Amino acid sequence: MLKILNKIVLLFLSAAFSLVVFAQSSADECLNCHQELDDELLMPAKNYVNDIHYKKNITCAGCHGGDATTDDDEISMSKEKGFIGVPDKTIRYEVCINCHSDEQTMKRYGSNLQVDQYKKLKNSVHFQPSYNNQGPIADCITCHSVHNIKSVNDPLSRVYPTKVVELCGSCHSSAKFMKNYTSSLPVDQVIKYKTSKHGMLNSKGDPNVAECASCHGNHDIYSINDTRSNVYATNIPKVCAKCHSDSKLMSKYGLPTDQYESWVSSVHGVALLEKDDISAPSCNDCHGNHGAVPPGVESISKVCGSCHVLNMELFEKSPHKKAFDENDFPECETCHNNHKIRYVTDDMVGTQESAVCMDCHSNEKDDKGYFVAGRMKLLIDSLKYEDKETKEILKDATQKGMDVSDAEFLLKDVRQVLIQSRTTIHTFNLDIFKESINPGFETISKVKEEGIAAVDDYYFRRLGLGISTIIVTFLVIGLYFKIRKLEKKS
Amino acid sequence: MKKSNGKTFKERSFGWIDERYDVTGLIEFAKKKSVPKFRETIWYYFGGIALLLFVIQVLSGILLLMYYQGTEDAAYESVKFISTKVSFGWLIRSVHSWSANLMVLAIFIHMFSVYFLKSFRKPRELTWYTGFILLALAMGFGFSGYLLPWNELAFFATKVGTDITRQIPVIGDSLLILLRGGEDVTGATLSRFFGFHVAVLPGLFTVFLVLHLMFIQRQGMAEPEDWRKLPESEKKQIPFFPNFTLRELLIWLIVINILAILAVFFPWELGNKADPFAPAPVGIRPEWYFMFMFQVLKLLPANILFLSGEFVGIAAFGIGIFLWFIVPFWDKRTPESRRNKAITYVGIFVVMFIIIFTILGFILD
Repeated sequence: MLKILNKIVLLFLSAAFSLVVFAQSSADECLNCHQELDDELLMPAKNYVNDIHYKKNITCAGCHGGDATTDDDEISMSKEKGFIGVPDKTIRYEVCINCHSDEQTMKRYGSNLQVDQYKKLKNSVHFQPSYNNQGPIADCITCHSVHNIKSVNDPLSRVYPTKVVELCGSCHSSAKFMKNYTSSLPVDQVIKYKTSKHGMLNSKGDPNVAECASCHGNHDIYSINDTRSNVYATNIPKVCAKCHSDSKLMSKYGLPTDQYESWVSSVHGVALLEKDDISAPSCNDCHGNHGAVPPGVESISKVCGSCHVLNMELFEKSPHKKAFDENDFPECETCHNNHKIRYVTDDMVGTQESAVCMDCHSNEKDDKGYFVAGRMKLLIDSLKYEDKETKEILKDATQKGMDVSDAEFLLKDVRQVLIQSRTTIHTFNLDIFKESINPGFETISKVKEEGIAAVDDYYFRRLGLGISTIIVTFLVIGLYFKIRKLEKKS
Repeated sequence: MKKSNGKTFKERSFGWIDERYDVTGLIEFAKKKSVPKFRETIWYYFGGIALLLFVIQVLSGILLLMYYQGTEDAAYESVKFISTKVSFGWLIRSVHSWSANLMVLAIFIHMFSVYFLKSFRKPRELTWYTGFILLALAMGFGFSGYLLPWNELAFFATKVGTDITRQIPVIGDSLLILLRGGEDVTGATLSRFFGFHVAVLPGLFTVFLVLHLMFIQRQGMAEPEDWRKLPESEKKQIPFFPNFTLRELLIWLIVINILAILAVFFPWELGNKADPFAPAPVGIRPEWYFMFMFQVLKLLPANILFLSGEFVGIAAFGIGIFLWFIVPFWDKRTPESRRNKAITYVGIFVVMFIIIFTILGFILD
């Protein structure tokens, strides 16, 4: 009984489906005719039945014009009926924006899609004229295809997250094509992307990981040097944070979500976002962009060293390198942190509580590191103190009207010595550190000597003036009495 | 002292020189030479003060020459070196700058005292002319010396100062090129000014100074006008040597003391090195003795009738200075040595004019 009932239901559904298809096909006479044609004239009709527009009851005439209700091609494809044939490539986007930029039309078809795509696209880099003047570089059809357009949420759509990489790569991975526009743009983005965590998961069909459009945007893509671009240096952190600060999304991958928050207050975050220093590192500078991966313990110093070259070189020759490797300590990160990198101060080194050295070293007999850290701090503090004291001497001399500009100029070298010495700390070798900092003490001693000499000279001048004034005054008085005596006599 | 032929060594030495150079004649001349003693004798010392300061200028200038380098690249650095590294270099430079200003001041006072005492009258017309030329040369010394440290203020002040010559009809542009050594104030101007300052001007100055002193020696000090009616017995005189000379020496010592105090307490500033491409700094001003002319030219309207204000100003100054120079010629009472109050009023007007516009120049700056 149940089997019979099932067969009846199946029969009924089949009949209903055939009726719907018949009703649709009978409404679009263009399709009916083209389905009976061959090759180029058949393909659009064959594909269109799977197109989302077909499902929304939009006939061929919706884009091509003409009258889809009659099978008389003299009428249906007549100019009087508005038939335009294949839209000209240079303006074919206008056919799309007729509906997609009109909120009322979109609502009529029951769509809740936004209607600002064209507005965004026309300012984007893709809407600039193509090298052969065949319309814009990329228009709606370039990405969404034609006659076979799917909803963006449809896994079969060309712009579905797992498909979009291939779509973008179809142009951006072609050196031959890209050089028509710029020879400086690389074409290895897709290759790199596939080696990244994002790319690997995307290849496995995960639509939630970042792909091209997640970072670069879709309709509103700008050159990376354009401040409006999502991937402009100062905008990147927020683009990454959109996903990486989303605890719900990140919980699927077991990733923390505090990176952005930590980075924003770091020395790098402040430099980039507050001081607009676009040379300061953002997420992609350390993690890579298309080939993004978290740096491993052993590669951290290479990442930091790409900017802090000298520090990396010194560290790699230092005794810490071996110790860190043996203990699996991430190199730079151990002392400086990763995302929340603090502004480096001299208090980071030394034997006081605030010093990072004390995280591993202690005041024990055989702990050489404790002694070295203490000495380094002492030397830096001494140089800073001497520098301050010398500046006071020079200030005093200047206030007394003495010219010590040469000494002041020389004293500027101490600042350079301090910078160099702070870098030399990464050798963690006291002898090398002393070699670096000692010229600072020598300069200070020279400058101080000049400053003191200037102050002494000031007093010497006054003393000299006093003595000479007294002598001359005595001479004046003597002469005065001599003249009086002389004139009395005469 | 050992005697030979009844004469001491000193007497014999004097006799030896006297026999050859007639020193006794000179002594006799000095003994006879006297200076009128009256209420205004004090003004007679300013010529001597100016002479002292000129000698200081020459000596300190020679010392500065040992280190100064008159090129665009080295001038500023060499003056800085003198001020900071050379032993007592700061003192020499400061003394040179201060004594230059005091010398111009002394010459001004000397000139006005001569003017008001009417000492320019017959027979001392040439003394007046040479004295006036010496003042002009002293101002030329100041103008050329101002640029030599090649600092910002001097550079732009020289630019403004030399630019004024453009207003002189016919020869203005050529004169500007001659002064600057080109269209603009450059290293060529510096070399040229250095040449004027250490060779041309000292040579001319020495010639006119010798003439000036020679005229004074030949004619003696001018007597006041009131003395013409006095009998010889009532004309008080003091011997030039030693009385007047000692008094002059006393004043010189006081001037030296003042100069030392100024040089030590107010060392002459060097400022920043001149940068021809930098915008002109605020507060460009010439030396104080050019200030009254600078200020008048600044206050004049852009156009007066159909002529430029600057041209009218320069023409007026030119005429005024020329008239001042030839005062013995147009003072009709000069030959008769009679009283002429008009001369005194003109003098008062000129002094007031210079003082007021100099003060305005510093206040309105």
